[in-house]
Amino acid sequence: MTIGRILTGFSLTLALVFAGACTKASKDSSNTLYAYSIAKIKGLDPAFSDDLYSGAEVARVYDTLLQYHYLKRPYVLEPSLAEALPEISKDGKTYTFKLKKGVLFQDDAAFEKTQGKGRELVAEDFIYSFKRLANPKLNSPMWWILDGKIAGLNEWRATQAKAEKVDYDVPVSGLKAVDSHTLQVVLTQPSYQFIYNIAMPAASAVAREVVEKYGPEFLNHPVGTGAFKVAEYNPASKIIYVKNPTFRKEVYPSEGAAGDQEKGLLADAGKTLPLVDKIVMTVYTESQPQWLTFMKGELDYSSIPKDSFNQALTPQKELQPELKKQGVALHSSPQLDITHFSFNMTDPVVGKNKYLRQAISLAMDNDKQIELFYNGRAISAQGPIPPGLSGYDEKLVNPYKGHNIEKAKELMKKAGYPDGKGLAPLEYVTISDSTTRQMTEFYQKEMAEIGVQVKVQTYSWPEFQQSVKNKKGQVWSYAWGADYPDAENFLQLFYSKNASPGPNDSNYNNPEFDKLYEKALTLPDGPERTALYQKMVALVVEDTPWVFGVHRLLFGLTHRWMKNYKPHEFHGMSKYYAIDTALRK
Amino acid sequence: MSSIHSAVSPLAPTQPVEIKGKSLWDHAWIRLKRDRMAIICFSIIVFYATVALLAKMGLIATPWSDVVGASYQAPSSGDMRLWLGTDIFGRSVFYKVIHGTRIAMSVGLVTAVIAVPVGVVFGAVAGYFGGWIDEVIVWFYTTLSSIPNIMLLLAIAYSLGKGITAIYISLIATSWIGMARIMRGEFIKHKNREYVIAADSLGASNFSKIFKHILPNVSHFIILNFSIQFISAIKAEVILSFLGLGVQGEPSWGVMIDDAKLELARGVWWQLAGATTAMFFVVLAFNILGDSLRDALDPKIK
Repeated sequence: MTIGRILTGFSLTLALVFAGACTKASKDSSNTLYAYSIAKIKGLDPAFSDDLYSGAEVARVYDTLLQYHYLKRPYVLEPSLAEALPEISKDGKTYTFKLKKGVLFQDDAAFEKTQGKGRELVAEDFIYSFKRLANPKLNSPMWWILDGKIAGLNEWRATQAKAEKVDYDVPVSGLKAVDSHTLQVVLTQPSYQFIYNIAMPAASAVAREVVEKYGPEFLNHPVGTGAFKVAEYNPASKIIYVKNPTFRKEVYPSEGAAGDQEKGLLADAGKTLPLVDKIVMTVYTESQPQWLTFMKGELDYSSIPKDSFNQALTPQKELQPELKKQGVALHSSPQLDITHFSFNMTDPVVGKNKYLRQAISLAMDNDKQIELFYNGRAISAQGPIPPGLSGYDEKLVNPYKGHNIEKAKELMKKAGYPDGKGLAPLEYVTISDSTTRQMTEFYQKEMAEIGVQVKVQTYSWPEFQQSVKNKKGQVWSYAWGADYPDAENFLQLFYSKNASPGPNDSNYNNPEFDKLYEKALTLPDGPERTALYQKMVALVVEDTPWVFGVHRLLFGLTHRWMKNYKPHEFHGMSKYYAIDTALRK
Repeated sequence: MSSIHSAVSPLAPTQPVEIKGKSLWDHAWIRLKRDRMAIICFSIIVFYATVALLAKMGLIATPWSDVVGASYQAPSSGDMRLWLGTDIFGRSVFYKVIHGTRIAMSVGLVTAVIAVPVGVVFGAVAGYFGGWIDEVIVWFYTTLSSIPNIMLLLAIAYSLGKGITAIYISLIATSWIGMARIMRGEFIKHKNREYVIAADSLGASNFSKIFKHILPNVSHFIILNFSIQFISAIKAEVILSFLGLGVQGEPSWGVMIDDAKLELARGVWWQLAGATTAMFFVVLAFNILGDSLRDALDPKIK
């Protein structure tokens, strides 16, 4: 799934991955999932689903060729719009996908030929959707998932950049519809990430007539093939989805990971998806109202805000007895994510002064941060790769971490700013909620210890992302959650060609890193690739374009009437959730 | 010979005797002195001002940013710094309240000191001259006041970036209007009174009529308005800081209340208690004093 840009502030428990659900406690007997998002939604265009929250919403409406199995761990891909996993040629370059027959787009006025009835999905739709990510005029922040991967696509992009109007009819050699339901993709070189990339919401199938009809408004006019369609749309506060009546036949999985049977996760095996009729998704940018709404039973699940931690859990990190009595269930799982500060490497001050960056990194008291803001539910990140992915090195000790003020002060001298003298206050960009403000205050305090002053600029989540994409500011706090289970997803964040508006938000540019990265792309998972990954990590650790924060643990709660909930790193899981309407009463 | 009155002839030159009439201010002071409540409130304000001044000079509650205990330590007697417990970072909430007082008082003072004269000048000029000048000024402030105050504050704070300067500017920009309205009305009333006409016939300039003749006669409104501006500035600062648009990196009552919004869930009430109590007394004192001043200064209430 999609991406990973995450708020750091809320971190706490970030249930994000599964967008929440809330339920009108007592009187609502409808089969409705009450979900939430902790950030405003930018819109529902797959090409702009470059943050966790937009990605989660996109995945309710749109579908991809492949998806992750809901229950199996480690994560495995299974066909979604494809009939089966692709056939891959011997040289690893040609992927052939057979599409499911009879998959319909949701009804929309844009389908003029069929009088507003959604037409059938064909292979051409994927060719169009992939080209759309490459469209130089659209400037999609998700282009990176296909950049350099599909034969002829980069050339198409370059030609179209010069053209006055982008012509989707110009063919791309690597994208071919063999017949109406067979898609053939030829890669430039074997890629071990491509298969994951096309399972991300950004690679969803969009219909050309809809995009062309609505133009820029397509962002607010989603028409997909997914399990849900939008009924009411207000991305800053509430989105209501209803079951898509023309959704293809898809059933709840009948096998899962060990222990799923006992947890009742297989009770609905074989049932037609989606299991709920409606989703009400409310935006809560502050954690307290979200929590209180959950406690009232008006959200079906919730993360636990840092200040409500003791209300939910005992010091042994077990559920409080009162909650247990109510049938609330606790779900905890490590997350494939990392929080970080990014230095804007294009900035003449922080970007050019390694010692300054290292000094700031050293000034941060990570342990204190974990205690104050994550209730101990996080581990200090030494490098960019989270545990659980090959490339993560348990023994790695980042020499520029550990709250060593003395060493930091030494580095400040080397940087040319002894005790911060001569250094103008750094422009720090962040998000404007209360928890984030407290975190910012904490960072300010830490940096002040070595004489670094900070000027804070706060925005709402979509504005914040825009500011980062425009390379405004010198430092910002961010987080990244895995899009797919490969450490490459974290290392591409430092690849120079992915610089803003791509996911390399620090705009780090190191030819040596790029070379290693490009080499690693051609290798399958194995010791050789892992060794390359670790070399890359060492470069990033030394150059410190980021101050590595923490890897978080997810702590989420569900009410007794919410069924089939299992923590999942990726998107599109709301179709599996079920509500026991009798229990909700 | 008729006897001569022993008394000095009324026509005879005498020692000049100063016949001292009581001015409006003297009367007001006498009345105010009798009002115990007003005196108490005045003392409270003086106390707050002193605390703010001492904190500003670094003589008390310094440094507020030091860690004095564990995170969220409950209030305890003994060490003064722990009277109101500690915040998330283990800093003294008591010290933060004191420094919040400094911020609040300085915002109140700066805003009132600048906004009130601005309002006086605009109102006086509009009311005195009338005509197109009046129309322009009235148009200007009605337009400004037709925008909801809080929206205007937010817009200014957003465009200027955050911090205390932005707060000063945005509060000054919005709070002179009330004063200007009152002044305009008073000047329209006074400008045709006999004493002004007399001054006019003696050749007084417009400037001297406005500032020397009329202004002293309406000056009690300025005092009243000053105290009102003071409170509304304090409240606005708290609201802006609560919304995250206020002071940055310094303790403010608004920021403390924003903290409390999260902390109350874990039973940490002392930041909220400290900030609201401090705010309560100063706002109450200004309100009561404002009322007493009004009573004391209004010649119609005797």
